[in-house]
Amino acid sequence: MPQYQTWEEFSRAAEKLYLADPMKARVVLKYRHSDGSLCIKVTDDLVCLVYRTDQAQDVKKIEKFHSQLKRLIVAKESHSVAMETD
Amino acid sequence: MVLLESEQFLTELTRLFQKCRLSGSVFITLKKYDGRTKPIPRKGSVEGFEPSDNKCLLRATDGKKKISTVVSSKEVNKFQMVSVWCSLCLVSQGKHNNHWLRLLFRFTALL
Repeated sequence: MPQYQTWEEFSRAAEKLYLADPMKARVVLKYRHSDGSLCIKVTDDLVCLVYRTDQAQDVKKIEKFHSQLKRLIVAKESHSVAMETD
Repeated sequence: MVLLESEQFLTELTRLFQKCRLSGSVFITLKKYDGRTKPIPRKGSVEGFEPSDNKCLLRATDGKKKISTVVSSKEVNKFQMVSVWCSLCLVSQGKHNNHWLRLLFRFTALL
């Protein structure tokens, strides 16, 4: 279960994993207020990619990624959206 | 697993976040959904089923209570709130967060 240390690597790998098979992949967010930590996991039940953080700046990136992925899922045409991360 | 309408799901989600403020985790799962309501049999296929392309399934749990909702392309804007909550909660950590909770309720009421 690879844990990524940099957001850029994680977001690229996660987008690739989702586009490989959109019906199989799922995104899980785990939020702990007591620790102030957020963990995002993207998996297709074979490969599992994880990114953890407790930094507010990363939370913004994760939010943006999550909503971009949501929009990608509900879009009628299947196309690759270049996910820009700051 | 309780399947809810989008507004109800957002209200229940706020409650989950509130419940887990001092301890515990909130899990949110996002997955593409093609509208199936019956399992696909091993032999043959389900008749009269047309997979739809514009929906996703959102699930939330605190380990005990489970809620879920189906989001279509028309409703996706409402669900930007999901991410706003995470950031609001993190920002309010350690401070008086009644102010933030009131903001959250006001947002939910707008929907």
